[in-house]
Amino acid sequence: MRILAIIPAYNEEDCIQGTVFNLKRACPEVDYLVINDGSTDATRSICERNGFSHVNLPVNSGLAVGFQTGMKYADRHGYDAAVQFDADGQHLPQYISQMADAMEREGASIVIASRVLANEGPTGARGVGSKLISALIRLTSGMHIADPTSGMRMYDRTIIKQFARGHDLTPEPDTIALLARKGAKVCEIPAHMQERQGGQSYFDFAHVAAYMSRICFSILFFQWFR
Amino acid sequence: MSLTLRVLCVIGSALTFWIIMRRIKKASVRIDDVIVWIVFSLSLLVVAIFPNIPTFLAHLFGFQATSNFVFLAVITILLLREFTNTLKISKLNARLNELIEEQALQAKEEPHE
Repeated sequence: MRILAIIPAYNEEDCIQGTVFNLKRACPEVDYLVINDGSTDATRSICERNGFSHVNLPVNSGLAVGFQTGMKYADRHGYDAAVQFDADGQHLPQYISQMADAMEREGASIVIASRVLANEGPTGARGVGSKLISALIRLTSGMHIADPTSGMRMYDRTIIKQFARGHDLTPEPDTIALLARKGAKVCEIPAHMQERQGGQSYFDFAHVAAYMSRICFSILFFQWFR
Repeated sequence: MSLTLRVLCVIGSALTFWIIMRRIKKASVRIDDVIVWIVFSLSLLVVAIFPNIPTFLAHLFGFQATSNFVFLAVITILLLREFTNTLKISKLNARLNELIEEQALQAKEEPHE
């Protein structure tokens, strides 16, 4: 099984080197592609200096565009699976092979590395948001996804194609709900995650509000028309 | 329709026309994109010169005052315009994203070009 780890990176000079080194050390058989999303810091030069496999978006375009770039690459190079992998060091590479095993064993199209199944679900406001999304997915599709906001997800070829050739698919929970409703099998494996290893999260209040309203509207409303 | 409203329509029409023509002259807008504004400007002029037209339409649709009809018509036209603009911007965004992605991927495939 040929796997590509897609690592979107926007101004991740503090973490990107460690993240890629860890990934290469833990999973030498997994290919990876850093998507430098128009970073204004040293992210690009770090990638070049270390000879990391990477692409540079000419302007900052956001996670969805960066991730779709990675999915296009995976599609065109014939990868069997692609895994969404954070640049900030939250995701542990040793779970990639477990996710691939689960994908083959369960015949799943999407495998989520679930903090909740490892009893480490998000807490506080994030936990509330995550539970709300989980409830909405269950309400609209009857399916239970314990950790919909986990950013570490593996997709098989059919889903790679849909991301690469589709329109307006974001690597977010609403897309998982949409794909699941259209027949993609989703499974979860328990996984630990780390704190971000440096740099800054872009999740301030305005972003959270925009994120939650998009996800909720999308699951409750838009997905029935797509 | 009051004389004041008619005068305002003429002024609005003239102003719109003048602004558009200045933009065309400065080549800062494409003709395709401003035709709708020229039509808008001309129809304001028509309404001001022939108030019988909006009065007739207002009666037809049961408006109490012609001015109400004119206001509603203008608001409706602007809302439609705003909606088509949203569609256009959304499409432009999608195309821009497509270009960004393809450029990035091509630059990786052909690093020396």
